[in-house]
Amino acid sequence: MKLRFSRKTLGIPYAVFLLFFVIIPMLVIVFYAFTDQNMHLSFGNFVAFFSDGTKLSTMVYSIVIAIVTTAITLLIAYPVAYILARSKLKKKHVLLLLFITPMWINFILRVNAIRELLSAIQLLGEANYFNTVLGMVYDFLPFMILPLYTTMLKIDGTLYEASADLGGNAFTAFFRVTLPLSTPGILSGITMVFLPSMTNYVVSDMLGNSKVTIIGKFIETYFGTDWHMGSMIALILLIIVMVSTLLSGGFRAEENVRGTSL
Amino acid sequence: MKKRIFSAMLALTFALPSLALFSGCSSKKTVTLRVYNWEEYIDEGGEESYLYDEIENPDPDGVVTDFENWYEETYGTSVRVEYSTFGTNEDLYNQLKLGDKYDLICPSEYMIMKLAAEGMLEPFDEDFHDPSQEYNYYARNVSPFIKGVFDEGKVTVDGTQHSWSEYAAGYMWGTTGIVYNPKLIDTKDLQQGWKILLDPKYKGKVTTKDNVRDSYFVGLGIVYQNELRALDKNDPEYNQKVTEIMNYTELDMYGENVVEKVKDKLLEMKKNIFGFETDTGKNDMMTEKISMNFAWGGDAVYAMNEAEEKRGVTLCYYIPEECSNLFFDGWVIPKDDKRDPEVKKAAQAFANFLARPDIAVRNMDYIGYTSVIAGSEEYDDIRAYIEENYTVEEDAVLYDISYFFDEETLVPIDPDQLNRQFFALYPTEEVMQRCAVMDYYGDAEKAINEMWTKIKGESLDAWAIIVIAVTAAAIVAFVVIKKVGHKIEIPRKPKKGYTLVKQEEIR
Repeated sequence: MKLRFSRKTLGIPYAVFLLFFVIIPMLVIVFYAFTDQNMHLSFGNFVAFFSDGTKLSTMVYSIVIAIVTTAITLLIAYPVAYILARSKLKKKHVLLLLFITPMWINFILRVNAIRELLSAIQLLGEANYFNTVLGMVYDFLPFMILPLYTTMLKIDGTLYEASADLGGNAFTAFFRVTLPLSTPGILSGITMVFLPSMTNYVVSDMLGNSKVTIIGKFIETYFGTDWHMGSMIALILLIIVMVSTLLSGGFRAEENVRGTSL
Repeated sequence: MKKRIFSAMLALTFALPSLALFSGCSSKKTVTLRVYNWEEYIDEGGEESYLYDEIENPDPDGVVTDFENWYEETYGTSVRVEYSTFGTNEDLYNQLKLGDKYDLICPSEYMIMKLAAEGMLEPFDEDFHDPSQEYNYYARNVSPFIKGVFDEGKVTVDGTQHSWSEYAAGYMWGTTGIVYNPKLIDTKDLQQGWKILLDPKYKGKVTTKDNVRDSYFVGLGIVYQNELRALDKNDPEYNQKVTEIMNYTELDMYGENVVEKVKDKLLEMKKNIFGFETDTGKNDMMTEKISMNFAWGGDAVYAMNEAEEKRGVTLCYYIPEECSNLFFDGWVIPKDDKRDPEVKKAAQAFANFLARPDIAVRNMDYIGYTSVIAGSEEYDDIRAYIEENYTVEEDAVLYDISYFFDEETLVPIDPDQLNRQFFALYPTEEVMQRCAVMDYYGDAEKAINEMWTKIKGESLDAWAIIVIAVTAAAIVAFVVIKKVGHKIEIPRKPKKGYTLVKQEEIR
């Protein structure tokens, strides 16, 4: 008998992985979210979340912090990715490497380093929210640059020639060619940055001196004392992120028309 | 064939762990002891060890290995310790609740009481406390002060009162206080006690712990400072009265809501402090970013040592006048009906081995906290350790820690040590009088935890939340309409003089 691997057999390990590490854990979270301490079905946590001003306010603050972080990261990353992708420099991969290298250094170490820097310029403890956003922007910048760079690299150079042939100036070329064709990169960059900046409480603890609380910190705190509420918050966060991703997917479908029809 | 391979693999995956299980059971002589301790809370050997000596002993074993060897030599059965560590009492509790099995664990005092009250602990054998047996190192060497605390502390299990001693053997203990930099503060201000955390003079210069229990304790100390200070220190029930106040969870002596009062004070404190921390505090004290830091005794010792050695910065330790927290970690045996009596014996032997004064010194030196062990005539290691590290010949003051040992003990120490390392390790008897053990919160736990999230979380006015929610809903609705909308064609009336032609008809 010969061993033959069909697509189905090769798929089994992935199916098992998905089952045990994605689907079952999700179901467990949903189960915990809708039960009380005695494991009875309960909507108490749901009601408690939406009637508690502190939790709602913290959620709102987290979303605002995440939006600001994502926006600043995008503003910084876009020009960098554009320049790197479009430049005719021979050593541009070295430049890219310089932007990516921090990612390979231990995260805690980097946050500690920023903490000392902020302390040296007397900002630590003075501007907790600013520090938190700063730390997150620094940490997540590579996650924004990489997808932008790869999508921009794929843009066909002849499109720019065509744009010039048809009388478009540099601005038109940017708005009609670069921007629409790099939208997938922008979107995946946003997805990579938005959720972590709502949950990465190490940054807010270290740089905001634990005086800034984002929703991820609440999830962590509740998982010490009340798994049910912790699960509920995690679930609500998941839904918020899913809805926003779906909505931005809606934008993509429309704006990509030009790209796909080529 | 496909199916057969898959089922074979499946069988193999299930068979492997059970095979391992069998091999563990079949050799009857080896006992497996599952010990669950705090991270870095035992002498792990190597260069950090107390026994380390570059030439004589370049690679000493950890205490766990030494226990395995000692046990085999002493009892003739070999024991294998499965040693693992946890980060917080709550993690430990959750894991026990999920059904993880351990034979010996080391929770803090309140968690011991909670576990005992919930019937999750198994009492030690009665002869564990018999000092006449040679290997009962704990009973023979524990400090009478700690023994007193453990004997008098009560917990209700299944409707009957039991002393903590029945369930727990102490390990390390300490107090909470304030580490301060005498250069950066006016030491007279310390007389304010816990209220110094609210002092605007030190705005942005103080840190406290980022956890509910320490914060709640500080909050109580601030709220009831006058009442605590008004208590008569010579009253034989002074300590009990302090303990009672520091265990308020619902109504106070005026019949008012305690949690609300504490919340107000902690919110005030949050505005004044530099921040909450879990372990950045020691470093921030060292680099003089902050001038005061709420600290546990053992951490205080560590911070003072490090600051002195690495930066030449002098730090001191202060225990507020009104009250402090007496905390301890202790070894307890989780309930497990299927446990082999041999394993329980090994678990108790482990607790005893750690109580052997020479081992206690090793752990104490490694961890930095104070051991509950005082020693005996047979083993004088603790006293020798103190003498070696803290005794001075000239200009000494006699420091009385007789309460901790079973005989008069006056240690000639450097006057500087009166508010430094030695004081943090062994506070005076007078200070210990005002140290209260804080019980678990019981029914008030949820309310106090919610209070803490209110301290830590953000607060927006209700109208702001509503405005934001409505805006978010509007954006969602807009996008959905925009996305779905273009699929629905709205029939338009043709202009005058035109007729409507359907697309298909054109073709």
